[in-house]
Amino acid sequence: MISVQDITKQFGPLKVLHGLSFDIARGEVLGLLGPNGAGKTTMIRILAGFFPPTEGRVTIDDVDFAKEPKKLKKRIGYMPERVSLYSDLKVEEFLHFVSEIKQIPRKMRKEEIQEKIERCGLETVRGRLIGHLSKGYRQRVGLAQALIGDPDILILDEPTSGLDPKQIIDIRELIRELGRERTLILSTHILPEASHLCERVLILNQGRIIAKGDPQDLEKKLRNQQEIVVRVGLRSVVDEDEEVRRLEEVLQSIPGVESLVKTTERDSTVTFLLYTVLHDDLRSEISRQIVGAGFPLLEISTKRLSLEDIFLKIVVSEKKGTESFV
Amino acid sequence: MSGIWPIFKKDFVSLFRSWTGVFATSAFLLIAGIFFTFFLLAYSQLSMEAARQAYEGIQGLNLTRFVMGAFILNLGVLFLFIAPLLSMRCITEEKKTGTLELLYTYPLSDLEIVLGKYLSLLAQLALLFLPTLTYLGVLRVLGIKVDLGVVGAGVIGFFLLGATFLALGMFYSSLTENQIASAGLSFLTLMGLWILEWVAGFLPRPWSRWLNLASPFFNFRDFPLGVIDLSSLTYFLCAIALFFFLTLRAVETRNWRG
Repeated sequence: MISVQDITKQFGPLKVLHGLSFDIARGEVLGLLGPNGAGKTTMIRILAGFFPPTEGRVTIDDVDFAKEPKKLKKRIGYMPERVSLYSDLKVEEFLHFVSEIKQIPRKMRKEEIQEKIERCGLETVRGRLIGHLSKGYRQRVGLAQALIGDPDILILDEPTSGLDPKQIIDIRELIRELGRERTLILSTHILPEASHLCERVLILNQGRIIAKGDPQDLEKKLRNQQEIVVRVGLRSVVDEDEEVRRLEEVLQSIPGVESLVKTTERDSTVTFLLYTVLHDDLRSEISRQIVGAGFPLLEISTKRLSLEDIFLKIVVSEKKGTESFV
Repeated sequence: MSGIWPIFKKDFVSLFRSWTGVFATSAFLLIAGIFFTFFLLAYSQLSMEAARQAYEGIQGLNLTRFVMGAFILNLGVLFLFIAPLLSMRCITEEKKTGTLELLYTYPLSDLEIVLGKYLSLLAQLALLFLPTLTYLGVLRVLGIKVDLGVVGAGVIGFFLLGATFLALGMFYSSLTENQIASAGLSFLTLMGLWILEWVAGFLPRPWSRWLNLASPFFNFRDFPLGVIDLSSLTYFLCAIALFFFLTLRAVETRNWRG
């Protein structure tokens, strides 16, 4: 349904996303998981139509986002991370404003707003100024505005961040319910939250997808993975691309290497991050293969720590995640 | 273009829930009242003196120009101080609180957002100015005849001047997340433009002419006297279009700045 093809996003000299591609099926609940600064919010914002990607394209049912943004935005409900709402409007006024913008026919507006108010549990605060609401209620208003117009795609950026544990449980319950009827994309840095809510997750780190799949499997796999950094010299300056491709082939063919990411390429050297099974040390095999293919191996090291870093940052344990909010 | 209306309405309501909107409107109306009283008293004094001394200059003393003309001319200067207060929240506030992010993801074009906001500023300008037209009623009660054509030209001139100030203010509000900076920048720019006309007085011919042409106050000056000059009209319309366009471009910078 949604197809993301080779998305790159660059802010000035800073490259935030490096060629991401993935598809999302109709009705799927997809989680984007990663530490802070991994590029989740940037990816989410591109999907929500906040800004276009620098390169690559997003299509929804084969309609290109860049060509018909207005048409596609009508199908999307979006809740930003920092749920920022007009604090000087009342809840009902705000929802009315949103329903006008989303072009809900005049006759149906009242009914639409009523339904969303009930759905998100806002009856008691409907006449209050948004600025006077608690964070939990504001999150609910954020959800309600996303739901106006019944979009078939719902995008939530860190929907539980900054809430207390009771509010987290309530919002998650609401999200699970919403995910039953529509395509839902949510970003989070809490691993158990992703396994709890999502059918499939993509793990992002430094603007790249480093793993994807069923959240329970991934969780197991991540716990047993290590990262190996390999720096290789290139032989000629003329056809470096070809050499990099050849190197990638060689590295990928090594049994035990689960995925690899090219990080930097400069001064005729190229650095790869290899994700491998934790228990076998593949370093000797990797060096043998690289040298065997005729490339000078400049550096090889395991970086189990950095993957643990990712764990820590994604917050593997729920307890830790909620503690930090108290 | 259906997105203009909700944005317009929301901005209009918000302004009157903020202290700046209420303060700006009250201050403007209060000072306008003082101006009007002052010009009316000055006029009655002058006409009395003229009657006593059979003063010849009375022939040229036109009430509409003397009272309403001077009144509207001074409102233009007064609005220089008020415009930054009205426009400083326009985009700045939405940038700061992050609500602009929501607007960008709604089915709205940038043009609809900026146009809705600008029209709301113009409506605030109208709301601010229209009550002062009740002074025409005061003159009528006093039995004084007013040339409505001249006043009409003055009103048009004031709206063009005000719309230019607000377009400039809106542009500055799109550049920063700080309301004070936004108001300060537009105030300084407007002051600079005001001073242009004075500076022009000290300079030799070709320079003074160029500076005057660039000054909104110089271009405004003839309207309250009942003269609608095509070049002044073009000046204001171009200035509004320029700042409107710059605001649109500033809003688009999110695409590469994040």
